[in-house]
Amino acid sequence: MYGAQQSTPDQAVMMAAVKFGRALRELGLSASVDAEHTFIRGLAEIDVRDRTQMYWTGHSAFVHSPDEQPIFDAVFERFWEGRSLILQEGGSEHGESDARMQGSHHGGEALPQFGGEAKEKTALDGDRTRGDQDIPSAESEDGASNQERGVLAAWSDQEILSARENLEYQDNELAALRYLAAEIKRQAPSRRSRRAHSSPAGHRFDVRATVRSSLETDGEAFRLGFSAPTLRPRRLLFLCDVSGSMERYSRVLLASLKAAIGAARRAEAFVFATRLTRLTKSLDGRDLEQALDKARAAIPDWSGGTRIGYAFSEFNSTYGRRGFARGAIVIVVSDGWDRGDPKILEEEVRRIQLQARRLVWINPRPMSVDQQPLAIGMRAAMPFIDDFVPGHDPRAIAGLAQLIGGLASDRPARKIVSPVPPAAG
Amino acid sequence: MHGFNSIGQLNDALTSQRYLMDEGLATVVYLAIRLGKPLLLEGEPGVGKTELAKALASAQGVPLIRLQCYEGIDVHQALYDWDYPRQLLQLRAGGHTPLYSEEFLLRRPLLEALAQPNAVLLIDELDRADDEFEAFLLEFLSDFQVTIPEIGVVRAPQPPIVIITSNRTRDLHEALKRRCLYHWIDHPDLQREVAIARARLPHVGQSLVDQICSFVQDLRWLDLYRSPGVGETLDWVQAFHELGHHQLDARTASSTLGTLLKERDDLERIRAGDLEAAVARSMQRAQEFRQQNYYR
Repeated sequence: MYGAQQSTPDQAVMMAAVKFGRALRELGLSASVDAEHTFIRGLAEIDVRDRTQMYWTGHSAFVHSPDEQPIFDAVFERFWEGRSLILQEGGSEHGESDARMQGSHHGGEALPQFGGEAKEKTALDGDRTRGDQDIPSAESEDGASNQERGVLAAWSDQEILSARENLEYQDNELAALRYLAAEIKRQAPSRRSRRAHSSPAGHRFDVRATVRSSLETDGEAFRLGFSAPTLRPRRLLFLCDVSGSMERYSRVLLASLKAAIGAARRAEAFVFATRLTRLTKSLDGRDLEQALDKARAAIPDWSGGTRIGYAFSEFNSTYGRRGFARGAIVIVVSDGWDRGDPKILEEEVRRIQLQARRLVWINPRPMSVDQQPLAIGMRAAMPFIDDFVPGHDPRAIAGLAQLIGGLASDRPARKIVSPVPPAAG
Repeated sequence: MHGFNSIGQLNDALTSQRYLMDEGLATVVYLAIRLGKPLLLEGEPGVGKTELAKALASAQGVPLIRLQCYEGIDVHQALYDWDYPRQLLQLRAGGHTPLYSEEFLLRRPLLEALAQPNAVLLIDELDRADDEFEAFLLEFLSDFQVTIPEIGVVRAPQPPIVIITSNRTRDLHEALKRRCLYHWIDHPDLQREVAIARARLPHVGQSLVDQICSFVQDLRWLDLYRSPGVGETLDWVQAFHELGHHQLDARTASSTLGTLLKERDDLERIRAGDLEAAVARSMQRAQEFRQQNYYR
């Protein structure tokens, strides 16, 4: 049943394969020439009349992550049936959903995910990125027209973040963002790695280095080698609330996330309102405006209601399970207004804390939690927070930098809190 | 060339090692061997990523060379190092072998894989290593050769079969993925899981295997914090067997559930639910499964 065909594929097959690769590329898969080449070489090894073999050969060459599968499936379907490979732009879906994890193999008919996925945009118009700037310089902004709105300027309750103009940034904000990036770079928390490097000031006697250097001196150990453990950056994990009640902070918060992602070697950004969105990739570009556009397009529930518990549960069962929070400094920015079940929130926050090195919760509301009738979620989460920072306005970007720098990176003493007892029955 | 001439042949060889693949995985593994490309495997823990490399090695009677990645792994642990103490002794003894020659070279897994013809190289949990190491690996994987300054270029006479696994705790570099064939391994379906359990545990009664596999299949739909892998299923079957049970029952299930689920919350959730009913459902499903497959 399996035929090994050693001949090279004929011209028609080859053309079809190249077209196939091109169609995938147009939909944002990184179908490189390498991948096409692999695919064509693969075709020579399998029975090209067998749909399953064809499918998996293409899959192994072009798909590099489970997220890409729906796109591949849609194009393959057409490829196999000999239909035109040009797909119309369809409904947008947000980017980071992991089709495989939900156990569905759909996507045959559904058109691929356009919208906010960073990869697609860079693949399609990667040239647009301005190469030389981390964060746009002040000159790129039209500062004069927006003189009144500033990072520390007064805000009004009516300010509603919906229009594009609100995403423009002030000179002083941009300066603060650069400061934030520099500070994070300078003082991001670190951890000791297993690796040692030779250091005259180190305290560990380095036998290997000593012996090695004594080879040059006829086996006499004149110079003693010492080593010290290497420090590596610790992962910074941001979980930020962009729901309605946090709206006035979101604009700056997003820019701060962008700065942090760019500066820290290992940083991850997630935002949530009713559900969770991973922004690390969307924010990874160099251009601030572009990155923020992408990020906003990727957030399906911007300024929506809040279900922190569900969002955290989503985090725990997908990224958390893969170890994103393990050993990380987890920074939650949220006012703790939760419309979901506080029991769920309590449970999920506990789970995050168990994995994290430190769990920091920045709450913009200055009052104590007990005085806020709406902050039920906050109260539920309190026992599991290592550093609670109330009254910090995320719009004070420079303050955030100091906050991150001031975080102790040692493991905090924690009381053993017994898990929530399961619901009866 | 490694000795498989068709997907079917490969499949048979691995089946004889009691490793059962679905057609997708079989195709991809076959291609990886034929095209001489590394195979990047991702999937939840316990779906058999590492097992595949072991089975592939023993099917061909070649050694499995394993490089377990961890944070901070570097060239000296992955590729080669010099045996300084022996060099020193030789120096003291006034020997004449050059100090930086093959004799004093300590081969680490990657170099070992180049030296062994037809080896299977398993680079396990690459996502744990630092990205610098990934960049280094890139070079190794594209040419299957390394440069040791004191000796020169070491080239594989026969490129090894390379299996890379990742748990996706971070994204691997695009350039690395480009050099590899990619495959995501899912948990097996009922039929395959039963087949695996029967192949691995031939001494256990069939009805017990069917029932337990049905039960585990249902569990995987529950969105547990950590879904049980095939390895855990096998452990659980084994546990029932050792306790002398030939049928799934709720009481034993509850007391041995720790073999299957390793998270306290998951355990409590299952125990708090209606275990009796779940067991009854699994028995029913196993029965149906048995009837459907009776003549196969």
